[in-house]
Amino acid sequence: MKKFISALLCVSSFSFASMIGLDAIGQEQIAGGSAAMAGRGFAGNAKTGDTEGISTVNPARQAFDTKVSLNLNFLLDVSTADRSNSHFTKTDISMPSMNLTFPMGDFGTFGVSLWQHYSASMRETLEDEKEQWNAEIEYQSSIYELVPTYAIRLPFLRMVSLGASAHFVMGSFTRSLTLGADNSGIAKEDAWATSDVDLSDYVHGDWDIKHHPAYYSFAVQYRGRMASYFFSFTTPYTLSNTLDYNFRFSELDTLAPTRKTREIRIPAMLATGVNYRINKRHNVMADVAWRAWNRDIDNVAGSWNMTQMTKTQNDFNISVGYQRDGSDVFYDSYWDRMTYRAGAWYKNWYVEDVSEIGGAVGAGFPLGRRGTTLDLSIQGGVRLTDDDHNWSESFIGIRLGLVGVGSWGKARGQ
Amino acid sequence: MNKKKFILFPLLALFLSSCLFDTDDDGLSNWLSDQGMPSSYDVQTVTVPDLKPVSAKVFENLRPKSIYSSGIFGATSGMSHDVVFDFVIDTTVYTSFWTGLKKADSAKSFLQLRLVDSYYLFKPAPSGILPVEDDIELNVSWILSDKLTGQEINDLASINDSAWQYGLTSWKEKKSADTTASISIKAVTSSKTVSLADTLLELNLPSALVNDIRKKTCSRRLQLRLSAPEAPHVYRFYGPDVFSPRLVVQNSETGDFLRFNTVRAAVIPKNLEKCKDCLVLHGGSLDSLEVEFPSKPIMKALSEFYGDEFPYNVGDSNDVRQAVVMAELTFYRDDTKGESEIDLPIMVRNGSYVDSAESVVFRAENYIPDRLRINEHGHPNMVFYEGDSLALQVTAGMRNFINKASDGRSFRMLMRLERSVLLPSDSSYSVLVRQDTTFKDEDKKEVKSIRTDTIPVFFPYTNYARYDFSTIKNKPATLKLWLASKRGENTDKKKIVKIDTAKSVKTEGKKVTTSTARGGK
Repeated sequence: MKKFISALLCVSSFSFASMIGLDAIGQEQIAGGSAAMAGRGFAGNAKTGDTEGISTVNPARQAFDTKVSLNLNFLLDVSTADRSNSHFTKTDISMPSMNLTFPMGDFGTFGVSLWQHYSASMRETLEDEKEQWNAEIEYQSSIYELVPTYAIRLPFLRMVSLGASAHFVMGSFTRSLTLGADNSGIAKEDAWATSDVDLSDYVHGDWDIKHHPAYYSFAVQYRGRMASYFFSFTTPYTLSNTLDYNFRFSELDTLAPTRKTREIRIPAMLATGVNYRINKRHNVMADVAWRAWNRDIDNVAGSWNMTQMTKTQNDFNISVGYQRDGSDVFYDSYWDRMTYRAGAWYKNWYVEDVSEIGGAVGAGFPLGRRGTTLDLSIQGGVRLTDDDHNWSESFIGIRLGLVGVGSWGKARGQ
Repeated sequence: MNKKKFILFPLLALFLSSCLFDTDDDGLSNWLSDQGMPSSYDVQTVTVPDLKPVSAKVFENLRPKSIYSSGIFGATSGMSHDVVFDFVIDTTVYTSFWTGLKKADSAKSFLQLRLVDSYYLFKPAPSGILPVEDDIELNVSWILSDKLTGQEINDLASINDSAWQYGLTSWKEKKSADTTASISIKAVTSSKTVSLADTLLELNLPSALVNDIRKKTCSRRLQLRLSAPEAPHVYRFYGPDVFSPRLVVQNSETGDFLRFNTVRAAVIPKNLEKCKDCLVLHGGSLDSLEVEFPSKPIMKALSEFYGDEFPYNVGDSNDVRQAVVMAELTFYRDDTKGESEIDLPIMVRNGSYVDSAESVVFRAENYIPDRLRINEHGHPNMVFYEGDSLALQVTAGMRNFINKASDGRSFRMLMRLERSVLLPSDSSYSVLVRQDTTFKDEDKKEVKSIRTDTIPVFFPYTNYARYDFSTIKNKPATLKLWLASKRGENTDKKKIVKIDTAKSVKTEGKKVTTSTARGGK
């Protein structure tokens, strides 16, 4: 168990692969980044089921869960940034979320999620003696949210549920740009002093919410015989990022840092979605989430010609998906017990002139009789940009989700 | 298709896709450039000439020091070094000897010190250590306790050395007497080896001492101090950890004697300098010289160079806009006012006061050798060597000073005389030169070490010296900074800023032109 937890922490220290918005707040992991959601194009927040579990967008959904479920998600992501015949690729492994839901019958469902909402991750080395390049760039930023949720079906209107969640924000930011010396501007006899000296432009700080312990989401869900809907509202909040800027020669040889705090106003989010059951186990679904950014984001910046500001735009995510649920009869064939998913999404990033088009296919593999499932999805797409700063990206990724199911509080055979 | 294949195919597809997602050579460099980040940092130099200290003062280190493996007594280079031994005279054993001693018409006592032969015979040292033929005047003082019980004698061994040393600062002898001693240290050469003619140095002690000892037949503690402020040399002997100095008490009539090993020993240094205003540092005694430079000329030079305001007063005022990668402060040097026990160059080590964990601490500088300059002119941070300048690296101190200069502080540094250098032109700056290495010996002749040689770069013994740094007060110093800046191209001043290159500083007899400061890219 210790090894398992250590592996989880190790994996979760890495992050998503996009190189856009690194100096702002990084890449957003849509809808908790679960493998099941990703397999259907991040659509299906309105879809209910025994073990659908937590939706970070729609906390009301879990009220319809009947079984305890624990969900762990992993992502392997490969991105290539590209501009004017110049490109470079990086690979990341991350753990976007861990979720636990605990249905309590008529008393509603309690859940808790650890969600890496935004992250910026990069570690690249550049060395070319001839060109005087000697650099190592590292970004490690994670905005984690610990999200306790509660949802309950209305006693007098059982097809409707209400849900709420509180998002406690935490995390850290680190940017380290280690550079070797370029002595071309000084006299040759002076080069001895700096030829072996690397120094790091080092920025480190913590993430917090200004003036509040958390921000909140509220949702209402309707589950019909064929169609289900939800509507949710997430409160606006101000992210506070206190940063220490420094010049480092080594970990023990630093300057006294100068401290600055940047405040980032995250706007309220409205989200809605529908899930329509076509046949017994076939579902089509569509979701929309929207935020109106009215303030730009102060970048970490602080050095050389790094851009001081990330201009924002209204960000929205439109996703459509399909899912064929697997049979829950253990004696059916394995192929029939599998879940199949497909979906696509279009996302307008919070970064001005950045949009993302992606598609995914996925499947859920039942493991054993009790409903434990391994979800697998493969995603790919492009991120398109239209500014001098960000490069367009192609990405491909694979997500794994492990869903453990239990029936706590129920006697065997119930 | 089984389950394994079903999982394998997507993974294979992903792997193949990863291969297609390639990185070209300058992809990351171009990306960094588009983010406004450089691929390396530009090094720029700024020279600040005519720096005059606002204060300079010497901190002496005259505390007694315990002797463990070796000790000294005598005088040299403006310092005298007294030695104190702590003996226990236990008369409860060999009672017949004490009875006989008390009754004898005459008795004598003397000290036996084993000379540090490895020092006196140190092969790579320049000639001049031997022979030593001195007649010295010796003042012997002592504190002889009253009768001690057996328990009190046992307790003497557990006295903390540092507590004993502290007590020596207020030495109050009960008795003293003057005597003379002849010291002869010379080498004898046999067919294959060179050795000292006599490694045992015996110093006769005044008769008043032995009379005091034999007056009472009881166990007592004897603290014995030797002082020879007029001696022409210091004399080096092994300490209690190697060969314990011994007090010998002898019955002159019978020739019987008893020897007592010292329990502990210490050296008490004393400053004999007559000039109170001079900035004299003593080698071997950890004296230090603190020099304080004003902030204004350094801030002004930086301000002219970058075109920004210095000191930095924005926010918490910690300046991280740039960092000092190297800083070197060059002083004028005049060796004629100094003297050293052994004719070798002595390195000056230095450090600065830096902020650490809400307090200010002293930090020694990490010396980075400029190998080309050292090969040609020797280390720049030496005294008693050719040339008329002393260049000390003050990187850590200057880095901290500019970072925190907004609080109005001045730049303070400390320097002290440190090790003597046997191979001043060896740039390896290691303890031993490797085999088959060509180096310059003390006569500046090129010598190649043979296969089995291990040549020490530094003289492994203390070279007692005095050096007068008084010229620091009158002759201005030159500060040279190697800087890395976080400033971008847009904020850099494009113009070339010339601080002052007219007044260059002579180093090791060669005129070293201070490089022209440059701004921007």
